[in-house]
Amino acid sequence: MLRRRPKLWKVVRLALLAVVLAVAGFTLYLDIRVRSEFEGRRFALPARIYARPLELHAGLHIAQADVEDELGSLGYREAPPEGDSGWYSKSENSLVVALRPFVFWDGKQPAKRVTIFFDQNRITALRDTGGAELALARLEPLPIGGIYPAGNEDRVLVRLDDVPKHLVQALISVEDRSYFSHAGFDLRGLARAARSVFSDKVQGGSTITQQLVKNFFLTPERTLQRKFTELVMAVLLEIHYDKNEILETYLNEIYFGQDRDRAIHGVGLAAQFYFGKEVQYLNVAESALLVGMVRGPALYDPYRHPQRALERRNLVLREVRDQKGITPEEYASARGSPLNVSKKTGTGTTPYPAFLQLVHRQLRRDYDEADLRTEGLRIFTTLDPRVQDAAETALAKRLAQYDKDKRFGPQPGLEGAVVVTDPQSGEVQALVGGRDPRYRGYNRALDAARPVGSLLKPAIYLTALSEPARYTLLTPIDDGPFVWKSRGAPDWQPANYDKKFHGMVPLRTALAQSYNAAAARLGTDLGIERVLDNVRRLGVDRPLRPFASTLLGAVELSPFEVAQMYQTIASGGFRSPLRAIRDVTTQEGRPLTRYPLAVEQVFAPEPIYLLAAAMQDVVREGTAQGLNRFLPPETAAAGKTGTTDEQRDAWFAGFTGDRLGIVWIGYDDNRAARLSGAGAALPVWGDMMSVLAPEPLALARPERIELVWIDPQTGLRGGTSCPGATEVPFVQGSAPRERAPCSGAMDAAVEVVEKSVERAKGWLDRLLGR
Amino acid sequence: MRFVVLLAVLLAGCATPPGTSPESKPEQPPVVPATPPRQENIAIAGLMDSARAEAAAGNLPGAAASLERALRIEPRNPRLWHELARVRLKQGQHAQAESVAARSNSWAGDDKALRAENWRLIAESRQARGDTDGAQAALEQAGASR
Repeated sequence: MLRRRPKLWKVVRLALLAVVLAVAGFTLYLDIRVRSEFEGRRFALPARIYARPLELHAGLHIAQADVEDELGSLGYREAPPEGDSGWYSKSENSLVVALRPFVFWDGKQPAKRVTIFFDQNRITALRDTGGAELALARLEPLPIGGIYPAGNEDRVLVRLDDVPKHLVQALISVEDRSYFSHAGFDLRGLARAARSVFSDKVQGGSTITQQLVKNFFLTPERTLQRKFTELVMAVLLEIHYDKNEILETYLNEIYFGQDRDRAIHGVGLAAQFYFGKEVQYLNVAESALLVGMVRGPALYDPYRHPQRALERRNLVLREVRDQKGITPEEYASARGSPLNVSKKTGTGTTPYPAFLQLVHRQLRRDYDEADLRTEGLRIFTTLDPRVQDAAETALAKRLAQYDKDKRFGPQPGLEGAVVVTDPQSGEVQALVGGRDPRYRGYNRALDAARPVGSLLKPAIYLTALSEPARYTLLTPIDDGPFVWKSRGAPDWQPANYDKKFHGMVPLRTALAQSYNAAAARLGTDLGIERVLDNVRRLGVDRPLRPFASTLLGAVELSPFEVAQMYQTIASGGFRSPLRAIRDVTTQEGRPLTRYPLAVEQVFAPEPIYLLAAAMQDVVREGTAQGLNRFLPPETAAAGKTGTTDEQRDAWFAGFTGDRLGIVWIGYDDNRAARLSGAGAALPVWGDMMSVLAPEPLALARPERIELVWIDPQTGLRGGTSCPGATEVPFVQGSAPRERAPCSGAMDAAVEVVEKSVERAKGWLDRLLGR
Repeated sequence: MRFVVLLAVLLAGCATPPGTSPESKPEQPPVVPATPPRQENIAIAGLMDSARAEAAAGNLPGAAASLERALRIEPRNPRLWHELARVRLKQGQHAQAESVAARSNSWAGDDKALRAENWRLIAESRQARGDTDGAQAALEQAGASR
């Protein structure tokens, strides 16, 4: 016995020591977690993605209503003014806009007031408050989504100083009255919480600090051990950080409900989401509503349960009044006010998922996925919401109509995709990935590789026109029956769309009418490899099989790849990689990456000019004539239709002075769609462009291109005396020399005089050193 | 035991000071209103002035950004393309400088002086790349454009 006693004591002591060490170790572990997680990156902030800013200047073609729309979607309210900025007031032919401050990639633009004067869909002048003329005014860009951390948590960080006093007071009154005096926990609350572990009631009594710990570090299970951990961590937090810091973090952390797949966190974003304003402008009633939601954002959702939310808000207001946080008068007036939540415009993580996918892919070349999801980067993109909306609307409307016409029943309907770019810069203005533009899935604009059919033909004609000594727009091409024999493959005999052959036709007619036999013969004469080489030079990166059938579009490309190819034609032979991003900055606005305009001249200007002129003929008198129902002839758009075997795919690619658009329509499962490029894809393009009032296409005429009057009957030099004579562009020296019989002596004389005047001018220029 | 926990807590508490996060507010100097020549788009003139000022101050990316901004307003303005080619040349981006100067030429129309300037710029860029023959050819083009 005597011997045993000390041994037992020793065991007990050892056990006690072990427990103490374990608890101390555990505490230390928690402490490290608390500090590292609280200190390091406190919040994962999504990369925030913006549309292009609307740049206003005198001379800009834009309707006053369109500017008002843009302001509306930016959350500007029509007067009465609230706060210093973020409102506008309108009168006939002018708008006064109180621009919010905004940090652009090239610096901070302070809040300012601008008056915009309009005259018939055109801005005539911009003036500041003093009446001085302004060169430019940039509206802030529309936020169009983000790249979110796990759980699609979204938030806008605010500093405690920016949060209105009455909001903080309401929060303290309702959630944690002794916040500023306790040490992280509240004994009475703790007792309640302890009971609640054993009962099954919803617990109250957690301090703000404990709530923060719970949200920040712990899983939502309710066990005694977790409660203990929460308590220790709350105390640790209070030891390391002061009350204001903890409160600020709490305000940025709290969950305020769902916007579809996006989780609204923090008072900053909640203020924007529910009231369309910055947190500092929240009034007493609005603040009380938000504070009331903390307990149950779904339960007190002001959209779904307005009555319950209102009662909850009033309860909060009463509580604040009882604590003397507001005067009885303030209470009365706040209590009497309606909920005042803004019209529900929430569209989840983004209204433009297809475009965002493109942005995300382009970003991933330069940024870590983790950084994109947590660092709060600001991404300035090229999306033009007006163009995007026009593209979405046009596609959806036409597809619905085609489906109805066909009455195919309930099976999956037609699908489509649209890409719109700026032909000069390669900036992507719109991207539609399917008929439901909000669907976040299969992005046909980027990922649906479909046979392109006749869309490849311009590459054949470009190859021909690069040899002006052999081919001009008028060179006769044989559209007789054509057979291509190659060893080990069945004979290839392309037929024409109209099942006829047309004999010898001028080159530009062969393109305008999209004759297959002519194109196949021309392409194989030139050499398949040479043509495919030009397809690659136009910007197609995909491997191309060196078969004759490839020439007629037996090659599968996505609408985006087609856009890249046509971009090079539309920009005069200068290839620019299609870009969706202009700039990336840090959260604070420090520039990180610029995506500059890059051009590479890949074709001589002359053949590209001739090709583009021939593509204008496609619209004027060829397969895309239907476009003239949508656009006035002076638009002089250039385009190409495409239809594949059994009409599985309908394409239209075309450009005006300021936009290039690609439209594809077909079934996802490759069923025969029985729709043609001209009949189905072209109307989508036409609807979209007519809404956008495109600029006419004025091709830059290279120096070495001359316009020659041609008699259509003979294809020889003609003049005004030849009926139906037209001016046709030629590379200098390649035009026919011979005159048509109809061409009189007068025409020849006029030509000689014109020539000498030209020469004299050049001589004079040189003499004067111009 | 409670004492040990508290001790651990306190010790840990001394280990590091609470973090501070400095707030930086980028400020931009007020834009000096430009006095634009008549007939010209004042937005373009303003952006051209900023681009020149930025280039003079050695901020070439800034200058390029201003010119790109102007080009979004007037994509067919050959002067803007020319200025951009100049910036690219200064940045040592010779291939870009040449292509952008060629783009300027494509919109230059009858402006022979500008064509000649573009060809001289192309010559300079080729020379810098060590392409003497190419530079010579470009200079001849510059002469022919006069």
